[in-house]
Amino acid sequence: MSKPLLTLLAAACALALPALAHSRQVTLTAQLKNYGGDGAYLAAYLTDAKGAYVRTLWVAGGKAKYHKHLSDWSRLSAGDAKRLDGVSGASVGAGRALKVRAELADALIDAGYEIRIDAAAEDMRDSPSEIRVPLSAANAGKPQAGKQYIQSLTFQLE
Amino acid sequence: MGWKAIHRWLGLTIGTLAVVLGISGAILAVDPVQQAWQAPAAPDGLPVATLVERVTRTVTGAEEIRHLPSGAIVVFSFDGDQPQASYVDPADGRVLGAWQPSALPRWVKNLHRSLLLGDAGRWVAAGTALAMGLICVSALVLLLRRMGGWQRLAARVRGSLAQRIHVVAGRVVLAVLCLSSLTALTMSASTLGLVALDAGPEPDVASAVPAVSALSGLSALSALSAANGPTGQMALPSAQLVLLKSLTVQDLRKLNFPAAADPKDTWKVATRQGQGWIDRYSGQTLAWQDATLAQRIDDWALVLHTGEGAWLWAVVLALVGASVLLFWLSGVVMWWQARRLAPHITGNCPLAQADVLIFVASEGGSTWGFAQTLQDALSQGGHRVHTSALEEFQTLAATQQVFVLAATYGEGQAPAHASHALEIIARLSPGATPVPVTVLGFGDRQFPAFCAFAQALEKTLRGQGWPALLPLECIHQQSGQQFARWGEALAQALGEGLVLAHVPRVPTTTALTLSVRQDYPGADGKGGKGGKGWQRGQTTAILRFTWPAQGLAARLRGHGLAHFDAGDLVGIVTPGSAVPRFYSLASGWQDGFLEICVRQTPGGLCSTHLMGLQPGDFVAAFIRTNPGFALPRTRRPVVLIGAGTGVAPLAGFIRRNDRHSPMHLYFGGRDPARDFFFGPEIQRWLGEGRLATLQTVFSRVPDGGGYVQDALRRDAERLRDWVTQGAIVRVCGGRAMAQGVAEALDVVLAPLQLSVSQLKAKERYAEDVF
Repeated sequence: MSKPLLTLLAAACALALPALAHSRQVTLTAQLKNYGGDGAYLAAYLTDAKGAYVRTLWVAGGKAKYHKHLSDWSRLSAGDAKRLDGVSGASVGAGRALKVRAELADALIDAGYEIRIDAAAEDMRDSPSEIRVPLSAANAGKPQAGKQYIQSLTFQLE
Repeated sequence: MGWKAIHRWLGLTIGTLAVVLGISGAILAVDPVQQAWQAPAAPDGLPVATLVERVTRTVTGAEEIRHLPSGAIVVFSFDGDQPQASYVDPADGRVLGAWQPSALPRWVKNLHRSLLLGDAGRWVAAGTALAMGLICVSALVLLLRRMGGWQRLAARVRGSLAQRIHVVAGRVVLAVLCLSSLTALTMSASTLGLVALDAGPEPDVASAVPAVSALSGLSALSALSAANGPTGQMALPSAQLVLLKSLTVQDLRKLNFPAAADPKDTWKVATRQGQGWIDRYSGQTLAWQDATLAQRIDDWALVLHTGEGAWLWAVVLALVGASVLLFWLSGVVMWWQARRLAPHITGNCPLAQADVLIFVASEGGSTWGFAQTLQDALSQGGHRVHTSALEEFQTLAATQQVFVLAATYGEGQAPAHASHALEIIARLSPGATPVPVTVLGFGDRQFPAFCAFAQALEKTLRGQGWPALLPLECIHQQSGQQFARWGEALAQALGEGLVLAHVPRVPTTTALTLSVRQDYPGADGKGGKGGKGWQRGQTTAILRFTWPAQGLAARLRGHGLAHFDAGDLVGIVTPGSAVPRFYSLASGWQDGFLEICVRQTPGGLCSTHLMGLQPGDFVAAFIRTNPGFALPRTRRPVVLIGAGTGVAPLAGFIRRNDRHSPMHLYFGGRDPARDFFFGPEIQRWLGEGRLATLQTVFSRVPDGGGYVQDALRRDAERLRDWVTQGAIVRVCGGRAMAQGVAEALDVVLAPLQLSVSQLKAKERYAEDVF
């Protein structure tokens, strides 16, 4: 359950079929620390150069009751009625890793876009913007540490 | 399926899961209690703005302030890269120590809400809560039925130890258990996504980053500002945020500081009432969302279910949670006891071929034993007999005789399985050639409605036109002797030889050793004073026994003599007879001896056996409680009325009156020289203050005062006084004497608009008759 693998087609199709030829596959791997709590809720999403929400890549943790604890994502994505469509799964246990695969248009790389992850665990401290990584070719393959829950976040471009 | 079946089967099956949830819930209550004295609470009326100001002075990199349900303030911050969480004193912002979310391992909570089975387990736990709710509702129905309505809910509970534990504890915690189930369902509904708590999506708000020039006027405040934006613009200090000034810490749940790295981030505050967003530069409230009704209900459910922020309530919840185990254990024992007593009639003839039908309504199961005895006796006489439960009541072509053996439950109700029997019978027509239907009632005179169900049956049957072979007879306390006498009448009516030797299941007996006997010789046959009613050799003796030492292990296994109080009964099993005789106890376990007063009845097997005992001899005995007659702890006046050997339990009450409650004894005998039982002790207790007043009357001596009821009539004034003070009355003696006393007291109490039956209903009047 901890390593849900997905192919994000629906969103990519929505962007426009011709763009498909110019899209790249991105694989995110978030390794969690042993923070000693219940499974973490994680929201991975994309923001543009102005910090505006673009789309949700993955939400781990299925109880809508707790989604407000992913507060940045919850606020920024409020206008996206389909933010959870096909991109949600179970929460991620402490010490486990989350692997997410997504299709992104070529134009998004090295254009000021950021991958952001909000994290929260029950009875523990919420961590909005647990980690923010610029979506640049240079950053690909370089592990980065989060603030509280994420040991390392790596993304690979294919 | 009736309420009883619902209660029993849900309890026995899903009850096991409820035990797990109850115990884990009780453990979880540790947290609110522990947190209650972890950190000081905020003073009343403290504005949130002031708290923020104090916190920013003492904690660097504060990100979030939480006001815990316990009242404590926790601040989340970053010290460089290290996340910190500390308790803070709201009075001065002082850091008090590190915060720990819970003193318990995580799995306890997960066991409680999902049985460690994830989402599937949450559904199971929610189902268990639903079942628990049903168990509670059925429990209330059964409780009201058992006790005889709301008014009698607080009355004394009778029955076996397991039944008493179940009912007494149930009376206390039922409401809380019900509430816990309901709140569990509320919480499950929101967690499982059946109810949405949020007030729609959060508003898209951002702090409006001002041009540098617009802020120049505020530059003087920069020293105070703890949340400068990264671009150098001046954020407004918390003390100037209007919303935070207007909110008090009491209402606060959570306050998030604007992130240092994000110039457009806002303050976000959550309170009981809702949540708001504040511009970090202008201090304006950008948006406010009221908490939804669903959210408020969920908040309340959380407090009621967990005791968060209400440690006394948490203690109550812990006890109630643990009590689930008690209910389950006592419930299993009750079920097991009922199962053991469940009817299994042997030699039953098919209904259609039977000429005699026996219908049984039994609560505890003992009436089935009597039915079996009757069935065996009739079968031996050549009858084809069919026995079944009363709800099967009917007559067929082959039927010649019908017997109904009916016990009564609670306030004169039918035993549960026969609850519709009266309606069924009321709809049946006896036909052109009705067969006789004879009713035999079983009950206990301690209960206000003695054999009321049997009487209702009798009335309905006669109303429908069924004849009877014998008039209604009511058997008191499963008396085998009374049953045998009814059998004699039956044999005569049928014109057949028939003996009803009922052998009840006798409990395990203990060998008691006679230590002392005190003899009252009775009549000497010389005639003389008051002699003519006395029979030769009709002697009486007070017998004092001791019981063998019993190890704790034996007691836990249920072996050995049960604990007893004065007024309880001892069953004596005589060699050669399986039917025990019962005697009222004149002592309690605390006294260290077991004392009874035995009168030789002519030809009486048991009394002859007892009268023949010499010190050192053994007798087989067991205890049967007599809870309706035992004396409650009281400081109210106690009126004790006894005649002859009936003084025995009353003497036991006085002997243990260490609190010196005002006890008044009316003793009726025949001759002070011969049958003033316990005379010297009674005189001594009078001197010690254990007994307040003593009235003795002796019927067979000149100027003896007549009968005890005469003494009551003479003392009418005083008796009315005591009854007005709430007196408790206990009467022990022969049936005729008890009836005479009740009649006399009805006359005495008439001016108070009171009667013996009213006192009985209030459990202030009880009789032990033989």
